[in-house]
Amino acid sequence: MTLDSSTLERYRLKLRYKVSYHLGSSCPDVDDIVQEAMLRFVHALQSEKIRNPESMAAFLSGICNNVIYEYKRRLHREPLCDQDPSSLEIPAGLGADLVELRQVIGLVMNQLAPREREILRAFFLEERDRSEICRTMGLSVMQFRVVLFRAKEKFREIYRLSLKRNAAKQH
Amino acid sequence: MRCHDDPVYREELIRNYLRRSLDAAATEAFESHYLSCDDCFEELRVSGLLMVGLHQSRIELRRVDDVLVLQFAGPAELTRQSFELGELQRAFLQSDSKVLIDLGRVVKIDSAGLGQLISHYSHVVKNQGTLKLLNPNAEVQTLLKLTRIDSVLETYHDERQALDSF
Repeated sequence: MTLDSSTLERYRLKLRYKVSYHLGSSCPDVDDIVQEAMLRFVHALQSEKIRNPESMAAFLSGICNNVIYEYKRRLHREPLCDQDPSSLEIPAGLGADLVELRQVIGLVMNQLAPREREILRAFFLEERDRSEICRTMGLSVMQFRVVLFRAKEKFREIYRLSLKRNAAKQH
Repeated sequence: MRCHDDPVYREELIRNYLRRSLDAAATEAFESHYLSCDDCFEELRVSGLLMVGLHQSRIELRRVDDVLVLQFAGPAELTRQSFELGELQRAFLQSDSKVLIDLGRVVKIDSAGLGQLISHYSHVVKNQGTLKLLNPNAEVQTLLKLTRIDSVLETYHDERQALDSF
């Protein structure tokens, strides 16, 4: 079984996200771990170890878990630095510098309406239940859904435009 | 995964994943899912950024007696392009006349930030009130001194002392 290079690249990006999630994006070995997991995955593909193509992602995830586990065991024996993946941080693998990302996020947040920010904050940061948000903000479930997705869409759009503008400025 | 039937459920799943409140089995199931689903991965990335944005932007407002105390929840920059400056502007759309701004977490300030402080000061003075600053770091303190803003805005390093001075 073989995979084309764009599929492999997509897997690599996603694995990078997963590894950063478990080890923190400041972990210096994220790329090495991703590389090792991808290598084992490609070997498994070549030796026809994956019989069910539908379980490919789960298989890759399992390989990655093993590599992370081995890394953590090694790190436990020879600690290099304190890893704190528990804090909320900018996920890795977004193809931009962290400082630039923070600035762009700041600009984007500025452009959201106060009510949109209030709803997003209640949902994402305060982990409030959708029914509770609807009750306290006087929204129907449908209105809540519309506001949530409209705000997220707006964030996505402004974020894309800001990154594009920043990239154009640098060239 | 019910991700594609109920978009709010998907957002809840993503939120709980990012906030690390899913158990190990649910975490593994979601990771296996997003490895094969570009749609869910895209939503995960955007929500992750959005949460960082929301997280890094908080200004805490509290009232001690009749003084409004503004404090940044995390490291903040009061610069032309910063989100915190906008937040500070918005936080000030009220008619409080005794205001204390805690600059303890402000790591950087520029002319726009200083201008904003002066603008808030003028706003408060118009309401027959006063605005004072708390805990500026050495760099911010130097800028306040260089621009002589410290002769207009009183600065304190002890919150109790600052509150008692109103």
